[in-house]
Amino acid sequence: MTTGANAIAGPRVRSLAASTAGAALRGLALGVFAFAILGPLANLVLWSVAERWYTPFKLPVVYGFRYWEAVFRPTGDAMASLGTSIEIALLTVVFAFALSIPAGYALGRLRLPGRVLLLILFMLPQAFPSVAIYMNVARIFYTFGWTGTVAGVVAVHTVHGLVYSVWIAAAAFAAIDRDLELAARNLGASAWRTFLTVTLPLATPGLMASAVFIFLESLDEFTGTFFVGVPQVSTLPLLLYNASMGGNYQIASITALILLVPSILFMLVIERFLNPQVLSRIGR
Amino acid sequence: MLVRLTFGSLLSAATLILAGPAGAETLNVATAGDQNMVDYVKDYLGPMFEKTHPGVKVVAVGTGPGDAGSQKIYEKLSAQKQAGAAAWDFDVVVAHQKMAGQMVKEGLLDKYRAGIPTGALVTRDTAENALGADVGGFVMPMFHSQTAIAYNADMVKTPPASYSELVEWVKKNPKQFGYNGIKGGMSGVAFVTGWIYAFGGNTDRLLKGPYDETTKAAWDKALADLKDFNRNAVITPGNAGTLDMLNRGEIAMGPVWVDMFYSWQAEGKLPPSMKLKLVAPGMPGQPMYYAIPAKAPQTKLAAEFIALATSPAVQAEGIVKRFNWYPGIDAQHLQGKLEPATWQKLFADITPEDLSSKGKPFPIAPYFNDILESYEKKVAN
Amino acid sequence: MDRERPSLAGFLLVAPALAMVGALFLYPLGYSLSAAFTGPDGRPTLAHFGKAFELYSGDILFTIFIVVVSTAATAAVAIAIAGILVLGRPGRAVALLGWLYRFPLFIPFIVAGQCMRTFLAKNGLMNNSLVALGLIDPGQGASLLDWRGIVITFVWKQVPFVTLLLAGAMAALDRATIDAARNLGAGRVRTLFDVVLPQVMPNLTVALTLSFVTMLSVLSVPMMVAGSQPTMLTVDMAFRINAYGDYATANALGVLSYAMTAAAAFLYLRHGLRTGVLR
Repeated sequence: MTTGANAIAGPRVRSLAASTAGAALRGLALGVFAFAILGPLANLVLWSVAERWYTPFKLPVVYGFRYWEAVFRPTGDAMASLGTSIEIALLTVVFAFALSIPAGYALGRLRLPGRVLLLILFMLPQAFPSVAIYMNVARIFYTFGWTGTVAGVVAVHTVHGLVYSVWIAAAAFAAIDRDLELAARNLGASAWRTFLTVTLPLATPGLMASAVFIFLESLDEFTGTFFVGVPQVSTLPLLLYNASMGGNYQIASITALILLVPSILFMLVIERFLNPQVLSRIGR
Repeated sequence: MLVRLTFGSLLSAATLILAGPAGAETLNVATAGDQNMVDYVKDYLGPMFEKTHPGVKVVAVGTGPGDAGSQKIYEKLSAQKQAGAAAWDFDVVVAHQKMAGQMVKEGLLDKYRAGIPTGALVTRDTAENALGADVGGFVMPMFHSQTAIAYNADMVKTPPASYSELVEWVKKNPKQFGYNGIKGGMSGVAFVTGWIYAFGGNTDRLLKGPYDETTKAAWDKALADLKDFNRNAVITPGNAGTLDMLNRGEIAMGPVWVDMFYSWQAEGKLPPSMKLKLVAPGMPGQPMYYAIPAKAPQTKLAAEFIALATSPAVQAEGIVKRFNWYPGIDAQHLQGKLEPATWQKLFADITPEDLSSKGKPFPIAPYFNDILESYEKKVAN
Repeated sequence: MDRERPSLAGFLLVAPALAMVGALFLYPLGYSLSAAFTGPDGRPTLAHFGKAFELYSGDILFTIFIVVVSTAATAAVAIAIAGILVLGRPGRAVALLGWLYRFPLFIPFIVAGQCMRTFLAKNGLMNNSLVALGLIDPGQGASLLDWRGIVITFVWKQVPFVTLLLAGAMAALDRATIDAARNLGAGRVRTLFDVVLPQVMPNLTVALTLSFVTMLSVLSVPMMVAGSQPTMLTVDMAFRINAYGDYATANALGVLSYAMTAAAAFLYLRHGLRTGVLR
């Protein structure tokens, strides 16, 4: 009886110990990972409330919100720039959709010779170091009077983010079950109506996923905005860039934290659309 | 075509709704340099000007630190000129020496100085000559700044007084001296330029010309030594990177801009024990210039703005007291406008004598380029 | 996948997007290319490339090294995370991981650079934390603000993107093959590498290609995280323009950087064609 119980308990105890060790190991690994991901961000938060911080002190000597006040001061234009940034990012998403829904449909669904080359073509604006390009874009825009307009900036951001919107839209359309469309057609719906009532709603999750990337890309963009938008259009990354390159860490950190807000809100709204079926087809 | 149409209509619709405050009474000021330059216009100069000019709104835009910032101003103006725009984007620009020279050469600037009351308050050579380019009449110095070696007095009891002593010091204290190479900002460039002044010979010719392209061959030894020197030095990321490493005590010494140094110290980002030393035979400094683009929409307002900015009262209160810069106009005009304590604080580590004997300009533009490119070729690559 | 209609309509649908790329990218790019290949006398020349190699040969190699190492490291970390997310025992740890890894996705590169340069420094927050935990002795920590800093920042920033696409692809796989392998006694690691990964290779390639080209064109990270000797080509391009107004050499460097992109695009293409997903 006792021996039998032991015989059963032995392995169980051992496996319990093993699983505890495993859990500890997992916890440790997760801790290290959390440190790697959040550590740099914690640093950002620390700097945003550090009023004095220098060697040999490991943590700020004086904490305070002086720099937050500076960012939100009446003459500071952080909030106005933030508004402009969000406005541009949203318009960029809309404009990119207008271009990439038809293009994505064609690339995802129709037989196009040279399809791969087209896909690569959309990747190119993402790849070329941007200063040289934007200078020339500005030159072209001046002749049309498009500089200093929100629309001009939106156009530049759209081209830059097109790789995400087109590739993902193509994936979204390719992932749609044809039978649903056929059913609609058989019931007498026109091709156009079928597209609007069946295809497009089915592709929406994928399109929303691409919206995340376009939005973020636009929010991150600095060089194009400068050449095409400044001085009439000023965005938060411009502010951040100056503060950061100039070593004004508090201002830069606060600006960066402000910039995170719309990104995370946007992500929360859109997260439920990030659907594996679509993500798996991007760029294929 | 279709695209052009849709894009065009979207554009015009959007412009109608979203057009920025580009009304007739906006004064657009573009300033190169660090964030403090933008803040200076935004928080100090702008409101002051708006008070005396009701209905005018001053909009300040920063274009980024260092020559890169001035380059962007130049590119914008140049692109507008090539596109044949009737009125350009900026009313006032604040630029570094090198780009100011180029902008004058290419006819991008207005010759306004004779027309403003403060034009006669500056007699310094840098108001006429920017790295060998004749800029007389086109610019007013906003301030002068100077590079110097910053050191942590807790870690370094007797700082080196010259480049040669610095070389010895670095040999004894490897990896305790840091500078930002030449691609990360002007304080590193200034250090390298000072090195050539110290060990390359013929400084006078570099400063005054005439240019001779064979001169650079004489720098080979100096550059080889610098490469050797770099083995024991830390290359930091940027002007701010050097200050940053001084902040955390990772290096004990490094070249910095004097105004940035004082601002960082005032903001609690440098230990109070940090001090400055201007080493022999000297390190370069430079002014920032106010200029008016040739086709600025608001020429008259722009001139009035600059007149205010270069008035003795503003130079004393704004430039010297608040932002720790050396004044742009001649110093004697500030007498009586400042308490002696403020004046002395500015000259605590670097005396006026140091400044006049060891504060050098940068070399004329072609030599300047030669120094940078020789460094890239012989030291960095 | 059947694409039923070989059509002109398809091209018409792509045309607006294509026109945008043409007008706002290819056309301005034309200026750049002609500047790179034209001498001061207006004749075609390769002199700018000569200069680019003479001054920046080290930086060209450095750039290739950085992006290749970063891409490889990104791939490794992303595979590990995606593998755990899809094959790991569901539970709080996995859920937490799935929530954590996405954060850097929302951080612009410039902010990432800003975070990292005070985090990875010798007396930065990372080493200070390790000292406080008693893991290393004070003064023992090394500064990572060199090529390692750039790689770490890139990996930190790009892993969420690649993982997102990869985990999405893995989740979309038919569970039957995975379960079959597991039932046959294959461990999780083996299942990941022998069963799951081969099926999502195209997705991985796509994600890595996008990461690769993005990293090639980032200026702020190498500028802010590491000293300038050696540095990446974007910094050299900016310097060429800012210090000398020398667009020709800057554009020549841009062309070189494009050649690297072309190599990446070629791999993507070859892989796509071989696995048949692009047909």
